[in-house]
Amino acid sequence: MNVMGELALIFGVCLVGEGIAALLPVAFPASVIAMVLLMVLLLTGVVKERYLQKATELMMVNMAFFFIPPFVGTLEYAELMKQQAVALLVVAGVTTPLVYLVTAWTVQGCMIWMKRRKKG
Amino acid sequence: MIHAMLYSPFFGLATSIVSWCVGVKVQKKTGLILCNPLVIASVLILIGMNLFHIPLECYEAGGEMIQLMLGPVTAILALNIYRQRTVLKEYFVPVVAGCFVGSVTSIASVYLLCNLFGLDEALTASLIPKSVTTAIALGIAESRGGIQGIAAAGVIVAGVCGAMFAPLFAKWFHITEPVAEGLAIGASSHALGTTKAMEIGSVQGAMSSIAICVCGIMTSVLVLFL
Repeated sequence: MNVMGELALIFGVCLVGEGIAALLPVAFPASVIAMVLLMVLLLTGVVKERYLQKATELMMVNMAFFFIPPFVGTLEYAELMKQQAVALLVVAGVTTPLVYLVTAWTVQGCMIWMKRRKKG
Repeated sequence: MIHAMLYSPFFGLATSIVSWCVGVKVQKKTGLILCNPLVIASVLILIGMNLFHIPLECYEAGGEMIQLMLGPVTAILALNIYRQRTVLKEYFVPVVAGCFVGSVTSIASVYLLCNLFGLDEALTASLIPKSVTTAIALGIAESRGGIQGIAAAGVIVAGVCGAMFAPLFAKWFHITEPVAEGLAIGASSHALGTTKAMEIGSVQGAMSSIAICVCGIMTSVLVLFL
């Protein structure tokens, strides 16, 4: 498939995602619905990985580029962020090691339990 | 003429792409995690607009076009998990358990700390998804009335913090299992951490990129119960 066809496929999935999001009774990000949808299409073999090769490579390599506008948009909230800078940094700084610790220990515990079950 | 140029969508598009290229170059040259291309590019644009007194709305005409691509960029993350499907099948239980507990911990701890600091609802909503990858975090923040830019900043802080300290975390917390290390890196510091995880080892890298998608989906569902 050429790049335009690939883009049509990706945009189509996103469009369906928006449609489903509009039907849901709760506020759920349409982009995540599109991701799950695409995952299902790939796993069921309806969409082949090679249908997505060229377009996705360009987007994956430069993914963070698409996050520049929201970042620049914070200019509007500069005052608010200055006031709360300490709180923002503490919240993000403290919770990251915590999430690491809890996740790692859960998985490690899980794996020890699985190994024991296999032996027993 | 200048006015017409400034208010053209090409202004936002061109400045974004140019500063992105500069950011990528700087990171390649220095090799520092802190020299994140996204941060460098955004800071360059902000400095430029401040210097020449260009209003934000000039940038936004082109910015909105780039932002429109956030949906497709999130959707193609599906490929990540598809490519790891064999590993995912093998470690299904630890992946689901780890990502679930990690997502709950992240949401609960951010929520509690934000309340402790007395942050308002918009700020809290922006920080809640800070452990998931930017594309998904922005979607979650938007759907909950948060500010996308602050959400992106929170995500970056978590990512840089995780990428820098991941090897130390493993030592401090006595994490010996590569699967556990990878999932923990992905759950706490998403794509930025995954780059580091890939340097540590291939199992860690694979697990970390699985955790990005799984935690992203779980977090977007879990926040509905908040």
